[in-house]
Amino acid sequence: MAKTATTTVSFSLSSSDLTSSAINITASTKLTKAASRLGLTDTSGLGVKTTTSIDQYTLFYADQYTADKSSKVYLKNLSTIASEYFLVSIDDEPLGRLYAGDFSFFPWSATDGVRQVISLTLAATWATADTVTFDGQTITGAAAATTAAWVELLATTKYPNWTAAENGGASDTVVLFTAKDSNNLENFQLGSAEVATGSIVATITGNGTAVVAQVTEGVASANDIKITPSVATSMSLEHILINE
Amino acid sequence: MATTTATLILSSADVTGHNFSMTQTATLTKAASSTGLDEFTGITSRKYPAAQTDTVVVADSIYVYDGAVAHKVYIRNTSIGNSDYILVELEGNVIVGRLYPGDWMFIPYAGTLDIQVTTIATNVSIEYGVFSQSTVS
Repeated sequence: MAKTATTTVSFSLSSSDLTSSAINITASTKLTKAASRLGLTDTSGLGVKTTTSIDQYTLFYADQYTADKSSKVYLKNLSTIASEYFLVSIDDEPLGRLYAGDFSFFPWSATDGVRQVISLTLAATWATADTVTFDGQTITGAAAATTAAWVELLATTKYPNWTAAENGGASDTVVLFTAKDSNNLENFQLGSAEVATGSIVATITGNGTAVVAQVTEGVASANDIKITPSVATSMSLEHILINE
Repeated sequence: MATTTATLILSSADVTGHNFSMTQTATLTKAASSTGLDEFTGITSRKYPAAQTDTVVVADSIYVYDGAVAHKVYIRNTSIGNSDYILVELEGNVIVGRLYPGDWMFIPYAGTLDIQVTTIATNVSIEYGVFSQSTVS
């Protein structure tokens, strides 16, 4: 049986003097999965993001959640200084400013971008001390090695912003690199990696070759939730994501 | 000066391993001010006989927008059932999210882009309203 949970969110809005008659708006709903009566089951928990510059911060990355579901986001500016605000944006499009004490609650589609995939095809024989540098990692061969050995070496290395895997198959000469984030858009030098200006740089003293090709063009997600604080001094934003 | 108060209560006994209940209250004030918002559209209630595509529910041209504003928008899908969602977008196909029947949202609004809705079914019902400031702060 699928896990479910019951989460209720209620909203009321009232004023006795904004109009000539009192206003009292109420709404309450159980947070359910898309097109379902089952409750949303995942949550980030109640968290706080503290900012210390007026840079834009990404609060939730769309790539990390299932797109086009029934996710909900709660935000609150914890500042007590009336002039301090967070500009809330959907990617780079402004939604609005949350001033001190303001809260917000809204659905989020978490529309994914496309993660870039590139291939590195190796051939011939590599010599001792040949290197491949990518994403801040420099991999050095311990001895003269086959391309298969080099493919395995590259595929098992951990990279900060990419995952690597052997392409598989009998030839085993190709490493596939997949970006961890669709907003990680590199401008690769396609073709030979034996150039100093590419994102992948191979230093080969034997007769080996390394060729870079793009397998999937990356498309940045346009649905990340971002915040921009109004001041560089410390500000805090409370947040929850409830998702499926 | 008007005083308008918004309250949100979020609670669950089982979405985490612990009971969770949170109540938040905010007084709706103008930007960088303790003066209350002074304009309200009223709550518009509509039932769309046909599916809608990018139908404007909040037109940015009506609101001041030079940055220092603290407008608020409330939207609720008042339809019955499970599946007839309302896709809320900002002008230019900037997708915010889906309001399924009963779901509501309450957001700050910069007044720089229209707020639009798209529906996929007939007879989808919606209510919405804007609390705003008449001049920038």
